[in-house]
Amino acid sequence: MKIGVVINGALCEREAPENITLLHFLREYAGLIGTKEGCGGGECGACTVLLDGRAVNSCLVLAAEVDGKSVRTIEGEMRDGEPSELQQAFAKRHAVQCGFCTPGVVMSARALIERNPKPSVEEIKEGLEGNFCRCTGYVQIIEAVLEATGQPASMQELSHA
Amino acid sequence: MLETANSETLRQIGRSPVRHDVADKLTGAALYVSDMILPGMLYAQVKKSPHARAKIRRIDVSRAKRLPGVRAILTGHDLDYRLGLYVVDKDILAKNEIRHFGEAVAAVAADTLAIAHEAVELIEVDYEILTPILNHMDALAPGAPLVHPDLASYDFVEAAFSPQPGTNIANLTKCRKGDVEKGFAEAEWIVEREYTNPSVQHVPMETHVAIAQWKSGDRVDIWTSAQSPFTVRDLFCHTFKLPLNNVRVVIPNVGGGFGGKAGIHLEPLVACLSRKAGGRPVKFQATREEEFSLLPCRSALTYRIKTGVLADGRIVAQKMEMFWDAGAYADYAVNVTRATGYSAAGPYEIPNAWVDAYTVYTNKPYGTAYRGFGHVEFFWGLERHMELVAQTIGMDPLEFRRKNLLKPGAITLTGEVITEHNGDVRKCLDSVANAIGYGALTPAEKAREARTGLKIGKGVATLHKAPAMPPFTATSVVVKMNSDGTVIANVGLTDIGQGSTTAFAQIAAERLRFPLNKVRVTIEKDTDRDPYDWQTVASKGLMLTGNALMLACADLLDKAYQTAAQALRADVCDLDHDGDKIFIVHRPEISVTFAQLSIGYSYPDGGAIGGPLIGVGRYTAQGLTNLDKGSGQGLPALDWTYGAHGIIVEVDPTTGAYHILKIASAYDVGKAINLESVRGQCIGGMVQGLGTALCEGYIYDQQGHLLNPSFTDNKIPTCKDLPDEIDCIIVETPQLDGPYGARGVGEHPMISVAPALGNAIRSATGAELTHMPIRSEDVWRAMNSKPPVETWITKTPVGSCRSLPVDR
Amino acid sequence: MLHSFTYLAPRTRAELHSVLANEGAAASLLAGGTDLLVNVRAGLARPKVVVDTKKVDDFAGIAWSEREGLVIRAGATINAVLDDAKIRSDYPLLVACARDLASHQIRNRATVVGNVVNASPCADMAPALLCLRAHAVIGSKSGEREIPFSAFFKGVKRTVVAPNEAVERIVVPAASAGARGGYYKLKRINGHDLGIVSVALSIERGGEMRLTVGSCAPTPVLIEGLDASLPADAVVAAVLAAISPISDVRATKEYRLHMVECYVRRLLDEVRS
Repeated sequence: MKIGVVINGALCEREAPENITLLHFLREYAGLIGTKEGCGGGECGACTVLLDGRAVNSCLVLAAEVDGKSVRTIEGEMRDGEPSELQQAFAKRHAVQCGFCTPGVVMSARALIERNPKPSVEEIKEGLEGNFCRCTGYVQIIEAVLEATGQPASMQELSHA
Repeated sequence: MLETANSETLRQIGRSPVRHDVADKLTGAALYVSDMILPGMLYAQVKKSPHARAKIRRIDVSRAKRLPGVRAILTGHDLDYRLGLYVVDKDILAKNEIRHFGEAVAAVAADTLAIAHEAVELIEVDYEILTPILNHMDALAPGAPLVHPDLASYDFVEAAFSPQPGTNIANLTKCRKGDVEKGFAEAEWIVEREYTNPSVQHVPMETHVAIAQWKSGDRVDIWTSAQSPFTVRDLFCHTFKLPLNNVRVVIPNVGGGFGGKAGIHLEPLVACLSRKAGGRPVKFQATREEEFSLLPCRSALTYRIKTGVLADGRIVAQKMEMFWDAGAYADYAVNVTRATGYSAAGPYEIPNAWVDAYTVYTNKPYGTAYRGFGHVEFFWGLERHMELVAQTIGMDPLEFRRKNLLKPGAITLTGEVITEHNGDVRKCLDSVANAIGYGALTPAEKAREARTGLKIGKGVATLHKAPAMPPFTATSVVVKMNSDGTVIANVGLTDIGQGSTTAFAQIAAERLRFPLNKVRVTIEKDTDRDPYDWQTVASKGLMLTGNALMLACADLLDKAYQTAAQALRADVCDLDHDGDKIFIVHRPEISVTFAQLSIGYSYPDGGAIGGPLIGVGRYTAQGLTNLDKGSGQGLPALDWTYGAHGIIVEVDPTTGAYHILKIASAYDVGKAINLESVRGQCIGGMVQGLGTALCEGYIYDQQGHLLNPSFTDNKIPTCKDLPDEIDCIIVETPQLDGPYGARGVGEHPMISVAPALGNAIRSATGAELTHMPIRSEDVWRAMNSKPPVETWITKTPVGSCRSLPVDR
Repeated sequence: MLHSFTYLAPRTRAELHSVLANEGAAASLLAGGTDLLVNVRAGLARPKVVVDTKKVDDFAGIAWSEREGLVIRAGATINAVLDDAKIRSDYPLLVACARDLASHQIRNRATVVGNVVNASPCADMAPALLCLRAHAVIGSKSGEREIPFSAFFKGVKRTVVAPNEAVERIVVPAASAGARGGYYKLKRINGHDLGIVSVALSIERGGEMRLTVGSCAPTPVLIEGLDASLPADAVVAAVLAAISPISDVRATKEYRLHMVECYVRRLLDEVRS
């Protein structure tokens, strides 16, 4: 079937099978490999994108369902060719290690701060609960979101004995 | 090799510059093998056994073969290669016998993933189901069915390992120090207990994936998500008897490894499929479920410890028996056994010690390297045991540890003499004890208990680890100057997320005295282009490759100075440099820029001297030895990283539910190169250690089916599972032969989190936990002296909410 | 990997009923997809036709009227429940159950209707719906029928909904508004997990006390008709007598029984005080 979906502000029209997921569509039909598959079953959040402004696991959405809708992925996070406040904060606060969970985490964080511009640590945890990270242990990610939203951002610094 | 620059003059080391690899990861531009599509590429799928042990009577691939778009099918009998890092015991595809649930029986390469998937469903396999041997302690019993009846005929690395043919023992490592029976005779108390851990999975966010292309003339290109391109290449060539020059291995970004991507895994299979498909590239990516059972996990462990101690708290003797459940194949497990054998007593001085460590075969998914290389597993038992010994003799557990900690002059199990330069385990332990207010509860904590009805407890645990690596481990680095004076370093060590790329850029910038933005360390690894490094494992990369890098920088400067001396008509000894130029010390206005020297220096009349500036450095571990197979004596340790954790836990005495109020962790890192990267390892490792403690663990039924092959029932910590307060403390006792005094800390934060938690829970409630994971039900049972649940090989019915059907 | 199927997105009820009448068990309804797509990927469901209900007019949203009460239509997501002002003020038990359902991403897609139709014994929304006397409105070509949730669940992943039918909305009576209640869900970690056991308790304005226990029987179990002032021991006895937990990879029967008792006592304390 023909799928027409606005991705990161630009219309993307492709002929695609009915039995593929949005994740698969993004990666193999729209050429956007930033969104990753971590489990295929809606548990790990690596595939998180914004669908009509809401964070969803794209592995559990059929491409067919997004015809006529609007999707935002990590590739659309930059602002006028410059890193967004989230991207800058993630870099500065060392919230990225292997990077495989990162696109999903950033999109979840983006959705969070759009609905809650100054989230508390608890609210950040609620918003990012569905994103697994095996590398960072999450603290630097939480600090990055605090920093990106102009809030004091040190949960605990490294100290010398 | 240490550069003793003091902290005030260091400009790059000890700061936290933004990491160089993250910009692309944050925009989606970073490429992983998962993302790669090559021209003409085929997709592979694998037929997996639903049984834990079975004879393969017949495989019928005829219907699969006829499916349009299928380009290659392989079964075990098509491939006559054995694999095995240390004991060569594995076929690429099971030949006559299945040895674990999820084992690969056949593989297909097809034009699309959907066709490959359908083809696999069309392959028919006739099994004769056999009774599996699942429990490793049962596997040791005389007369137990043998997982590898032909063990006697397998090749193995004789220098290090001792398989026992006719049994299920893939290796037995012994370590003997002093006279343990004499020690027990002197002891006033003898305390014995057994501790256990299940298998767990690494859970890298990117599952294993590899692409291979077998071209004409037996030249093979491989792209893989792995922890070393050289290890993959070398093991691959060893298996297929190819010259190393024939094979090229490329590793772009890696979505996590944690030991599971060390060694070699999917590459031989995809390469054979490519060869069968006439040389088209073939890609196979494991699903998450396949990651849990087709790919290897971490061995389970039963650890029996018997300690003899004097009334004043000094340990006089300790007998340690480790029984490692390696699953169906030896892979890295035999080496985990060997490496933990010599480390098994922890950072304590034990005058008389006996270690017997067994690697046991069972019919389950097999164990491979995992962060900590056995230390997470055995420290659970060891640090719970230290607590028990202290309790038994009526001594405070912190005091007991302090009394027995290794001090300068102490002798390890292998006969190594510890010096003050190894690190300060006492400082680590004291730091965490202070940070959690170890000992009595504070008035605020008591008030909290009274208000909530919950019990608060505090516990500590120590840790240590040396890199588990060959004593001759080597690495090399090439540093090249571009014509504008910027520098690119080719480093063979793979960055799997730990931050080596940036740490090396900092080290190079520091050594060269260049601004950081003039230095780039390559991210993609390529055996054709990069100089040799062994592997990203063992927490040795920073030390060995950091040293090689510093030597390469020195070499580069040396060559630059040689040309500059000529250009400036000066002696090398009268020259110095800054970030842009080399100048005469006593006439600094006379100078030549690095850019001018970078690809040869040319005089005004056009003539040139010198040439492209390339620095080469290599570094090999110094002065280490193999371990004697009988006594376990030798010098295996490049360095020791010591550490400790302190935990404050709050436990609900009615339900067993608990919450960590605070965890303080300390490590003697020698010198922190990038502070936030060190913190990232500390917290990331601690949370992974928490996973092992809280909720991770493979569960099988009595037939050996893995009952939790997905995230539904194989949970890992989320951000909501963090302790309330997390303290990361570093001690910096310089490693004399480490770059700027640094030593590794990649694995260590995971070690001993679980026993610190177990000790804190005991302190809060009296509950004695000796097995893992520690779920609320486990705490409740221990508090109420109920028998623990036999979870790992469960007798209880699966029930209604199971994750996946047993199929295919 | 999903097998081949046809995707249909009917626009009207009539179209939907027609497709279901023709395809019956060969069709699967797709709302949030958070159960269906998991099952299709695992090979547990192999529909010939996937019928997306989200475009059916009148299937979206949550409405309230004094006459009917709270109407949660087929397309209403779990997060929509959490965001709804009326539900937050008057049906807090729905909020309590919704809040701990999976993760934020799942809650943006999963629907209340989908959760009950999937009919897992662990179904997160079932305890609130059973306590609050909700009923399902099931439509087909033959018309509509109303089934209270106390008669809706038949077994593990089985309900009274026939292959040619679809649950079109859930109605929670106006009389249940303002009921006091509480909910506990036992998980293995603080992060998202399905329920190992769950207990919901509500005390209606009229004074009847109702409890529902999840994950302790093939279906969620309702214990109704209890007097709100019944002593705790008697409540515990009534609840334990109604459930039949098993031991599985998640917990033992013994611990489940213990935790149900703990939760019942806690809820009685919290809600009755």
